[in-house]
Amino acid sequence: MNGFILKKDNLVPLLRKLRKGGRLVAPVQNRHGDTMFTAIEDFDRQHIDLKNQAQASLKPFFFPQEEPLYTYQNKKGYDFKPVNSSEPTIFFGLRSCDLTAILYMDVIFSQKSPDPFYFERRREAVLISLGCSRPFANCFCNNSRSGPFLEYGFDLQFTDLGHCFFVEADRARGEELLERWSCYFTPATEEDCRNKYQVVLEARSSFKQTVHVDQAIKKLTADIDLESIWKELSSRCQDCGGCAYICPTCTCFTIVDQPVDDTHGTRLRQWDSCTFAGFTRMAGGHNPVDYADHAIRRRFLHKLKTDVEKHGRPSCVGCGRCVGICFGGVDMIRFIKMVNELPAEEGK
Amino acid sequence: MSRDIYLPQMARIEKIIPENPQIKTFVLCFVDEDFNSSFSYEPGQFMMVSVPHCGEAPISFSSTPTRPGNIELSVRLAGKLTGAMHELRLGDLVGLRGPFGTPFTMDKLSDRNLLFVAGGIGLAPLRGVINYCLDKGGYGKITLLYGSRAPDDIAFSADIKLWQKKGIDCQLSVDTAAEGWNGHVGVVTTLLAGLEIENPKSSLLCGPPIMIKFCLPELSKMGFTDKEIITTMERHMKCGIGVCGHCYLDNKLVCVDGPVFDLAQLKAH
Repeated sequence: MNGFILKKDNLVPLLRKLRKGGRLVAPVQNRHGDTMFTAIEDFDRQHIDLKNQAQASLKPFFFPQEEPLYTYQNKKGYDFKPVNSSEPTIFFGLRSCDLTAILYMDVIFSQKSPDPFYFERRREAVLISLGCSRPFANCFCNNSRSGPFLEYGFDLQFTDLGHCFFVEADRARGEELLERWSCYFTPATEEDCRNKYQVVLEARSSFKQTVHVDQAIKKLTADIDLESIWKELSSRCQDCGGCAYICPTCTCFTIVDQPVDDTHGTRLRQWDSCTFAGFTRMAGGHNPVDYADHAIRRRFLHKLKTDVEKHGRPSCVGCGRCVGICFGGVDMIRFIKMVNELPAEEGK
Repeated sequence: MSRDIYLPQMARIEKIIPENPQIKTFVLCFVDEDFNSSFSYEPGQFMMVSVPHCGEAPISFSSTPTRPGNIELSVRLAGKLTGAMHELRLGDLVGLRGPFGTPFTMDKLSDRNLLFVAGGIGLAPLRGVINYCLDKGGYGKITLLYGSRAPDDIAFSADIKLWQKKGIDCQLSVDTAAEGWNGHVGVVTTLLAGLEIENPKSSLLCGPPIMIKFCLPELSKMGFTDKEIITTMERHMKCGIGVCGHCYLDNKLVCVDGPVFDLAQLKAH
């Protein structure tokens, strides 16, 4: 591994330089104490927070909650014009779970043919991640194999060694950054590499949650009867969509037309959630899904069964955000525990 | 497919055929002549249709690709978009994206006796298949069972007359009779009783979920294997390309894995 060392004093000077190449987005603690990924306008007034988990993932930067796809008119004929809204962006301080989620979205948004709106933003993004030396309260990325440190997928990965950062590149764009700004970096010594390894080992052993993701996947694959779980959790679901909105890998959307006047309008793409009763309801009112008992069935089966079959890994990245957001307690950790508590012999 | 997968192509309404009080068939032609002449599709596929200010909805082809030049979409008045579409007039434009979805495997059906069972608007996608079989030839005996709510609701009457002339055994049924109706009364599944279809055979179904539900055990009793029972499904859809998630059916997405499924595929999940 070719590692480099960045002194902590050099972090902001480096980020100032990087910002000249595009928008810089980093976790910033606002005056309410919330840490959110935010575009840095002023290094002196915005506090980059590398201690707390960002409340939301980077999902909205690539797949916004609402985005205009086209403007249309039907005054003279009827036609659509694409809306382009993308700029080169350097993302700094994203965590391994959020990066894994972006790699998952890359797969989802290239199903039949690449999604032009998503990939326009993705192509212009530099991803500089920070491995998690101290996992947060609800995290279980070690169990979902999406952290706390990654082997690939980042342009640069930072590891906090206390007095400095250990920096490694995976992609060509990361190598270029190291070369271009070599004045800030020194090659890592063998001792630095050992220290980095030590940090990774300690991080792996300091998770507060133990969530047996693989065991649950195995049970789901065996088609055990889950009706009691669906009923209980669906009755606790308040239909708010918070879990899907906060989830870094929930990518379901709806497309609607928003009229501006009689002959002009905007075609919008908006986040949607399979937990909403209207998600599957057809024109005329027929709904093939029974939401009273199955409101949350799709959400968990998609992440832990369908995506394992289709893409070889679950699409839960263990960030734990759904645990914090749901006031009904319908979260991934609860679901996995309930599945694992079911006796195995109930399998067909 | 255009580079931008969400960008609709404009199409002009060349003809509107009222099929019954709720169903109209729109004969459409792409405005871009090159696009129109190179456009192709297969029976069972669908298009995403845009109507101004109404977004998009999936509509199956009711025409057959053996008759190129224009396409036909038969639309039942069901919600906001279909309501607005029913207000459109000759020469008006709609947006179209597609074709999408896994079609009927017409090659595998050749030389087989085909039983079509349709309810209401469910005849629309099967109409394309029936005309495809007639145009191409090489298929066995064709039988159509078609159920409607009432005699006034019988759609595609002109097609049915033509099919009867061409030797297709068309049996119609209505749920509720009206004056002057001498035909069969009862749900369409009742027509299955006593019907015999010789091997090799396949059945193609499209209709409301309740019709499908009651047909399946009857067809199995008649000796159709799971692979010989083929249906095309209707779902709420937004993208048509397997991303938006709305049309999920267990581990499948109807827009890409379907809308055409055989019963063996539906049972495997």
